[in-house]
Amino acid sequence: MDLLNSLALGFSVALAPVNLLYCFAGVFVGTLIGVLPGIGPVAAMSLLLPATFAIPPESAIILMAGVYYGSMYGGSTTAILVNIPGEAASVVTCLDGYQMARQGRAGAALGMAAIGSFLAGTLAVVGLMLVAPTLARFALKFGPAEYFSLMVLGLSILAYLSHGSLVKAIIMAAAGLVLGLVGLDSITAIPRLTFDRMELVDGLGLVPIVMGLFGVAEILANLEQHLTREVFQRRITGLMPSRDDWRRSAGPLARGSLLGFVLGILPGGGAVISSFLSYGLEKRLSKTPERFGKGAIEGVAGPEAANNAAAGGGFIPLMTLGIPPNVVMALLLGAFIVHGLQPGPLLMIQKPDIFWGIVASMYIGNIMLLILNLPLIGMWVQVLKVPYRILFPLILLFCVIGVYTASGAIFDVYLMIGFGVIGYLMRKFGYEPAPLVLAFVLGPMLENNLRKALLLAQGDFTTFVERPISAVCLAVAALLLLSPLLPRFGARRNAIALEQS
Amino acid sequence: MLNRRTILRGMSGVLAISGWVAAVPALADTYPSKPVTFIVPWPAGGSSDLTMRALAESASKHLGQPIVIENRAGASGTAGPAVMAASAKPDGYTVAQMPITVFRLPHMVKTSFDPSKDFTYILNVTGYTFGVVVKSDAKWKTFGELVADAKANPGKISYGTPGAGTSLHVTMEQIASMAGVKFTHVPFKGGAETNAAVLGGHVSAVADSTGWGSLVDAKELRLLVIWGKERSKRWPDVPTLKEAGFDLISNSPFGIAGPKGMDPKVVAKLHDAFKKGMEEPAYAEAMRKFDMEPFYMSTADYDKFARQTIEEQGKLVELLGLKKK
Repeated sequence: MDLLNSLALGFSVALAPVNLLYCFAGVFVGTLIGVLPGIGPVAAMSLLLPATFAIPPESAIILMAGVYYGSMYGGSTTAILVNIPGEAASVVTCLDGYQMARQGRAGAALGMAAIGSFLAGTLAVVGLMLVAPTLARFALKFGPAEYFSLMVLGLSILAYLSHGSLVKAIIMAAAGLVLGLVGLDSITAIPRLTFDRMELVDGLGLVPIVMGLFGVAEILANLEQHLTREVFQRRITGLMPSRDDWRRSAGPLARGSLLGFVLGILPGGGAVISSFLSYGLEKRLSKTPERFGKGAIEGVAGPEAANNAAAGGGFIPLMTLGIPPNVVMALLLGAFIVHGLQPGPLLMIQKPDIFWGIVASMYIGNIMLLILNLPLIGMWVQVLKVPYRILFPLILLFCVIGVYTASGAIFDVYLMIGFGVIGYLMRKFGYEPAPLVLAFVLGPMLENNLRKALLLAQGDFTTFVERPISAVCLAVAALLLLSPLLPRFGARRNAIALEQS
Repeated sequence: MLNRRTILRGMSGVLAISGWVAAVPALADTYPSKPVTFIVPWPAGGSSDLTMRALAESASKHLGQPIVIENRAGASGTAGPAVMAASAKPDGYTVAQMPITVFRLPHMVKTSFDPSKDFTYILNVTGYTFGVVVKSDAKWKTFGELVADAKANPGKISYGTPGAGTSLHVTMEQIASMAGVKFTHVPFKGGAETNAAVLGGHVSAVADSTGWGSLVDAKELRLLVIWGKERSKRWPDVPTLKEAGFDLISNSPFGIAGPKGMDPKVVAKLHDAFKKGMEEPAYAEAMRKFDMEPFYMSTADYDKFARQTIEEQGKLVELLGLKKK
C-alpha cells in the first residue's frame, strides 16, 4: 500500500462524522485545559481515559491525542495574556509574549502563537507520516552518553536564557539542581535530601514547582500593584502579525519546528525542554538579543513552534516502536492497550486503518485548532477577561485543583504555595525562575545519564568524545561557553548587560 | 483538672469499648452498607490502575456496593497504603492495593508504616509477567548462553531495568549471585527507556515487564526467559527461570489489604467478593491485555506470605547494599 492510498484510508476513517466529533471534542477540551492554568494534559487525559472505554479504539485515541496537541495551543493564550503558563510547555512563552501584550501587541503574539503552532503541528504530522520508522531508528542511537551531552548543551544554553545577571542565573540553576536531587538516587536507590519524609521519596513534582513559581507568584506580585488592567481593557485586534513580524519569525518557526520534532522523538525530551532550548537558540542567533524578554516576537514564535512539533514528534516512537517518550505518551499507550491495540512495529501493518486514521485526524485537528484559536480567540479571552478580583481567586483555585488532581497529594499543594512565596521573593530581588525550572528538569537527567554512560563504559570518560553525536553536542556547548571570552561576542554580552542594568 | 480529665478519658474509653463490642456484630452483619474506597497507589490510566479498575468493577457485583477507585500515587507505590495506615478506619470501607514495594521500602528508607503491624491482609490477586529480552540479532540464543558469557567476561554483560531497587533489579542480582557471575546493572527511568536502550544496542539485555511484548512479536527482540511459575500463554516456547536452571519465581505479586484490626467477618466478605471478581471474564480480559497472571492466595496464605516477604526483602535489600542506616 503506497502512501497516498494509506492516507486516503486514513482520511476515510478520520472524516467519519463520529470521529470528526471526537476530534473536535478532543481539541476543544485540550484548548480549554491549556487556557486554564494548573490543569495540564496529563491530568485531563487520565480523567478522560475511563470515559473512552465504551467507544471504538480509533475514536478514543483521536479524542485523547486531540486533548494533548490542543493543550499546546491553549497554553500560550494564558501565557501571553496573564503571564501564567497555561501548561508547563508555555513557560517561556510568558517571557516575551506577555511583554508584547503589555505593549498592546497581544493580537500579534496570539496570532503568531496560533499560526506557529499550526505550521509546526502540521509539519510534525507530515514527519510522522513520511519518516516515522527511519527517525525512530535514529532516536535509538541516543544512548546514555548522547543524552548526557545533549543535557550539557541544554544547560550551557541556560546561561543565555536569563536576562540580567549571569551570577543570579547560576544561583537559580544551582538551586534547581539541588531541588532535582531530592528523592531516591536513580542509580543506587539510596534516599537523598528526603529528611525521612515519605512525601519526598519520589522527589519534588514539576507541576507544583512551575505553578508556584509562575502562577501563584504572579498573582502575589500583581496584588501589590495598582491594577490598571492594561491588557484586558483593549480589544484584541490585529491578530495577523505584520510583515515585519513574519520576517523576524520565519527562521525561529523553521528552527523551532525542527528542534521540537527531533527532541519530541527522544525519550525524555518533549515539549517543555524543546521550548526552552528553542528560546535559548533564538536568543543566541539573534542580532538583537537585547530585545528578548522585552517583547521579541521571535521569543514567541520559536518556542511555540517547538512545543507543538514536539507534541507531534512524540507520537513517532510510540506508534512505530511502542515506546512512549514522555508521560503523556505513556498514558496514550495505556489507552491503546485497554482498547486491545498494541502500538509497535506491527501496528501500521496489522491495523492500517487505525494508524492512518489517527495520523489523518491530526491534520484535521490542527485545522480545527487554527479556527478555534484565531477567529474564536475572543471566546478564550472572555474566559480570562473576568475582573481580577474574580479572576485571581479563580486562577488560584484552578492551580490548587490542577496540582491536586495531577498527584492526589495535598503535600503538592503546600509545595506549590511554598514555591509561590519563594517565586514572589525572587521576583522582588530580580531572580528569574526559568533557569531554576530548567535545571530542575535537566539536572537529574544529566546525572542519571552521566552515571549510566560511565557504568556502561566501565568508568572511561573518553566515551563522551568517541561517540560522534555526543562529541558534536559537547563541542557546540564548549563553543557557547567560550564565546563570551571572544571579543566580538563579549561586546554583545556587555551590551545586553548594560541594557538591563 | 487533671484528675477530672483522666476520669473523663477513662469513662469515654469504657463507653467506646462497650459501644464497640455491641456494634461489631451489627456492623459486620450489615456490611457493606455504603461504597467501598479502593486506594490504587498508581496514577490513573497506567496498566496497574486499569487492571485494578476492572477488578473493582467485577468485585463490586459480588459485594453489592460500588467499589470506588482512589488514585494515590507516590513513594514507589507505598504512598497509598501509607495514607490508609495513617488515617483510615478498619471498618472495611477503605482497602488498598499492596505492591511489593510496601514490603521492601521500609528496609531502605524510614517509612511512616510498618508492613508487619499496620495492615490486615485480605487476599493476593495478581502477578506480573517479567522476562529478559535481547536484540533479535544478538549472539545469545538462550538465557544460559547469556549467563555463561557473563561468567567468561565478568562485568561485560550489561542489563537495563526500569529502576534501581525494583523487583527486576533485585531478581537479576539474585540470579547473578546464584550463578556466581557479575552483570553490570544500568537502571533506567521506567519501562519505555529500557526498550529503546536494548534496541539501540546500549545495553546487552533488559529485564522488564511485558512492555517489550509487541517488539518480541515483531521479531525485533528475542525473549530468553520468563520469570513466572509457568510458561506464558502468549509465548509458550520460552522457558521459565526454573527450566533455565534457576529455582526462582519473580512476579512482583499484588494483593489487597485494609488497615490493621479489621473484623474477620468483614475480611471474609471482602475476600469472597474479590475472589469471585477475579473469576469474572471482564477481569480476565484486562489481565490478558496487560500480560498479567492471576495469582490467588487466601487470607491466611497471603498473611503468611506477607510476613515471609518482609523478611526476605530485608535480606535482599542488604545483599544489594541498600539497607537503611
